Amino acid sequence: MKTFLYLIVFTLLCAGYVTAETAPISPRIEVQTTVDAILDQLRTLPADSPQRREVISGLIREQFDFQLMSQGALGRSWASANDLQRQKFIDLFTGLLEETYLGRIQAYTNEKISYGEEEIRQNRAVVDTVIHTASADIPISYKLLLQNNDWQVYDVVIEKVSLIRNYRSSYASILRSKGMDGLLEEMKEKLDSLHQRAEVEQKDAA
Amino acid sequence: MKRMVVTLLLMMLCLMTVTAVVEAADEQPAPPLDLYGDLYGGDVSDAPTGDPLEVVNRGVFWFNDKMYFYLLKPVARGFRVVPEPARVGLGNMLDNLKSPIRAVNSLLQLKFKQAGSEVGRLVVNTTLGIFGFYDAADTIWSLKKKEEDFGQTLGYYGVEEGFYLVLPFFGASTLRDGVSMIPDSFIDPVYWSVRQEVALGIKGSDVVNRISLDKDTYESIVDEQLDPYLFIRDAYLQNRAANVAD
Repeated sequence: MKTFLYLIVFTLLCAGYVTAETAPISPRIEVQTTVDAILDQLRTLPADSPQRREVISGLIREQFDFQLMSQGALGRSWASANDLQRQKFIDLFTGLLEETYLGRIQAYTNEKISYGEEEIRQNRAVVDTVIHTASADIPISYKLLLQNNDWQVYDVVIEKVSLIRNYRSSYASILRSKGMDGLLEEMKEKLDSLHQRAEVEQKDAA
Repeated sequence: MKRMVVTLLLMMLCLMTVTAVVEAADEQPAPPLDLYGDLYGGDVSDAPTGDPLEVVNRGVFWFNDKMYFYLLKPVARGFRVVPEPARVGLGNMLDNLKSPIRAVNSLLQLKFKQAGSEVGRLVVNTTLGIFGFYDAADTIWSLKKKEEDFGQTLGYYGVEEGFYLVLPFFGASTLRDGVSMIPDSFIDPVYWSVRQEVALGIKGSDVVNRISLDKDTYESIVDEQLDPYLFIRDAYLQNRAANVAD
């Protein structure tokens, strides 16, 4: 009987290990789920609702790998930054990107979005989407990396312009003239002013 | 004893599955995470296109910024009293007039199918689309337009961008793309069919109309970026490089 029990426990353990290794969800579905969920929140929750920002922020943070994007935005300077500077940068950059993404997606809340093909190569994927406005089609591609069995966005390409490369180019110039601490200072000021803008918008909506 | 054998067999089966899963994971080793080259395509801080005229360019950028906020934007905002479908139609009409530029430059780049498509679009949209008000070619036959200009043609034959340039009124450009506006203007029917003042008027309303349809893209960049000049410079260069490459 004892052996039998062991057997059951062992089989269960094995089964647990094997099912943990199931295939990840398709990147296209991941992107679509997140974007649709964000748009859904924007359309349903009133603009003055306090949870709205939190809910959307949570959705973004779940799907975007801000650590990776921060590394990409700093480029070579990532290696020379110390731990404290890196953490500060990640926090500020996360906030700034979130505000930017939110601000832009809010402008297109009522437009139609179509999801195109996904292209997977090993642990990378590109998901093409198009925002159809009355006057133009805006192509937006999401680039994802498979980490721990989960597809995470590491770059957004709008009209053929990589957002992270764009940031890296700008930040590299600022780093050359003002150094890491100068950049962090500027980022903090910018984020504060964007938060103020968001508060004003919330009050206006109320 | 029999139980023992069964247990052993099951254990082996489990082990095999586990190793198979692990091996499958090992078969495709994740490439090393080289963030500069790999994920984000090269280090752009060493971008080949320099900006030796940055001081002058920033001056012109400042001028264009003031023009935008104090002249173009207020006019465009006023123009929004015209219903959106009419403004979209007007935009289509003005864009239809640029078909010859796209057709000729496609041809110069030996993109014959694309050149044919542009000619087809011009014919269909001018007739069925009522002087280009409707993009009938796209709606009915999915004939999509693709931007081609002389700057891209030069790029196709290997001409480098030179350096970054901010032009008054026109905005971001490069030496190559700026000079290329001259040959393109010879193909543009607006410039040779009407008097110069009228042509300028048409071009001006094109700009105002486009701003009226835009969702404050420029404002968001100015609000959200640490240095809008640098952000727009890189966005322009990236976008142009991609348009030349395809």
